[in-house]
Amino acid sequence: MNPTGTDLLLPGQMTPAAVLDALSTRLSLRDGAGAQRDLRFYDTFDGLLHAAGLAFVHESGRLALVSIDLGAEQAGMPAAVAPGRVLARELEAGPLRDALTEIVEVRALTALVRIHSVERTFGVLDSADKTVVRLVLEEPVVVASPNRRLPLAPRIRIAPVRGYDKALGRVRTSLVSDLGLQAADRSMLDEAVIATGATPGGVSSKVDVALAPDQRADSAAASILMRLAEVMESNLPGTIADVDSEFLHDYRVAVRRSRALMRELKGVFPVEQLTRFRVELRWLQQVTGPARDLDVYVLEFDALRSGLAEPTRSELEPLLRVLRDRRAIAHREMVRELRSERAAQLRAGWPAFLGELVALPSDGRPDAPRPIGELAGERIAKVYRRMVKMGRAIDDTSPPESLHELRKQGKELRYLLELLGLALHPGDVVKPLVRALKALQDTLGRHQDREVQIATLRSFRDDVLTLRGGAGALMAMGVMIEHLGEDERAARAEFAEVFAAFASKPQRALVAETFSS
Amino acid sequence: MSRVLATYNIKGGVGKTSAAVNLAYLAARGGARTLLWDLDPQGASTYLFRIKPKVRGGVRKLVRRRSDVENLIKGTDHDRLDLLPADFSYRHMDLALDAAKHSTDRLARVLEPLRDDYEYIFLDCPPSISLVSENVFEAADALLVPIIPATLSSRTFEQLEALVEGGPQVLAFFSMVEVRKSLHREVMARLRATHVTMLGAAIPSADEVERMGVDRTVVSEIAPGGRAAIAYEALWWDVRRRLVARGGGA
Repeated sequence: MNPTGTDLLLPGQMTPAAVLDALSTRLSLRDGAGAQRDLRFYDTFDGLLHAAGLAFVHESGRLALVSIDLGAEQAGMPAAVAPGRVLARELEAGPLRDALTEIVEVRALTALVRIHSVERTFGVLDSADKTVVRLVLEEPVVVASPNRRLPLAPRIRIAPVRGYDKALGRVRTSLVSDLGLQAADRSMLDEAVIATGATPGGVSSKVDVALAPDQRADSAAASILMRLAEVMESNLPGTIADVDSEFLHDYRVAVRRSRALMRELKGVFPVEQLTRFRVELRWLQQVTGPARDLDVYVLEFDALRSGLAEPTRSELEPLLRVLRDRRAIAHREMVRELRSERAAQLRAGWPAFLGELVALPSDGRPDAPRPIGELAGERIAKVYRRMVKMGRAIDDTSPPESLHELRKQGKELRYLLELLGLALHPGDVVKPLVRALKALQDTLGRHQDREVQIATLRSFRDDVLTLRGGAGALMAMGVMIEHLGEDERAARAEFAEVFAAFASKPQRALVAETFSS
Repeated sequence: MSRVLATYNIKGGVGKTSAAVNLAYLAARGGARTLLWDLDPQGASTYLFRIKPKVRGGVRKLVRRRSDVENLIKGTDHDRLDLLPADFSYRHMDLALDAAKHSTDRLARVLEPLRDDYEYIFLDCPPSISLVSENVFEAADALLVPIIPATLSSRTFEQLEALVEGGPQVLAFFSMVEVRKSLHREVMARLRATHVTMLGAAIPSADEVERMGVDRTVVSEIAPGGRAAIAYEALWWDVRRRLVARGGGA
């Protein structure tokens, strides 16, 4: 079935009974236990467990993390009822929570597929009647809904018994060569997911659009933006249902990337539509902003608090309550906007416009027919040069705004490099540049985030004061603000060094050589 | 980290192998990854699991850690229960241990790489007082000591407690009990009253225990729900409880 290749499928016309008959003439079999299994599988929206070769399953009162071929259990815990959604941080502390957190972090696990399987286990015996290999005949059925059951092809799983590798090889050969069984190229779980019409591995928010340097710039822009629109669309239901915070995050990244691309490649769009859609996408960004900011506070609350010593730390509880309440309100408001007529029109109108972009007349779109490789190079070089100039002008006396402005340009450059640079220019130039940029952005980001966090904490003061324990919390917040201020100053002090690496002479020469036409 | 439990008695024929095999089976059936190491050159528990009494490289390589112990392990017919088989060369285990450095903790060192893989490791020991038993005392967290309730058994028990003082926990239990014999009843009552480490469960002398050698399996499969099967379950429950009481997992 999969990485281990232990699952075999029966040849076309062969029934399980016929296989067993044929097997028992060749091997000495002991008919063992039969079992009816009810397996409910979970994964994150983007299939993080699948990518790690794992599956999360609820079966007979137990939640477990197992290998994707349903082999060894890596960690588990009792759970009488199959949960609707699983957040690692909400599980009881223990090996399962640790193992899961490492892979999925903040992402929620949601129900993927349910399988009923009738199993019969047979021991293959040696001359001393000792079991040397186990064969498990599985007849799985996907329970798509109470009234919709989709049988999957029966399979035989070969389960090794430790220390009997030779026998395992012999049995496998006999099944494959003599009986014509074939190694299944997909796990039972993947088969089940496919049967329900979904794709194994979940839904990716990666962009990964193939581009050719001589492709028309408008066609390249349309393909990337179309993919970004798809990412927004696929993350919208999870954002609205508040499944986990990553839906909104990925949604907003796609909006921001779309806006950056429109700004940088504005010469490929007709002016009127460009203006209209830029206004609309900015609106989307704005209406989703407060909910995301509060998500970040709630997620980072523990990390922020961990800088404090007891008893100050526990005195912060009222603040968490304020954060959660505000987050709930912000989320409700955001959902109202995302369900509005305005949002619906944008969802329909934006992809429709992208679909016809290439066919529109080129008048007033001077960059539309240009090769994307050349145009992208120009833009990357230009934004890079602008950043170098802005960064050089920053010294110890510069206001914080100058660092914020530089960070904005840095985001622009990052999107250009990720969306266009990686696909169109040599990776050995783009990747190190992305790394240097990332180091710079991390420092700038920390600087700005701390400043915003301080301002936000101050804005919560009145709310916190009205709660029981509010005075203590307020004092604790004061200590926290002090810590944040220190970190902000530290980030500012690091700036000169990371900027120097980003704007070094060899780096500048490399950018000029690679991206300027 | 696994718990290492050794079935041990200076005397032979008291039910060590039956206890090791049946308790290891129950541990595995309860969900724990379990290993049984058959240290007795006679290989009785290896035979009961229908496994060839063969260890590639023999005892010398094994105690000097020249063989990869993980490759010597065999799966049994029971889920989660593995066996490290006996080998005829084990009859020279004392000599092999004596020839090696750190001669009293060689067995513990052999087990070292396995201790994360198994929740319980059972050692089925040959009857003797020797370098092998010294190694067993060093490696084991607890000794499970079967005692036949006869006149000299109390003496055996006291000797053993003196022998392992400061070493593993000693958990003794009555074995091959015939409740119709008044002597058995008297000895049991006396020992239970005077020794707190005496476990409550007692294994009866029963047909199904004797049948193990013929059917080559555990009593829970020969006579599920029978007297002996229930007695081993009670014993396993009692052992786990005592291990917990001493602190740590299980």
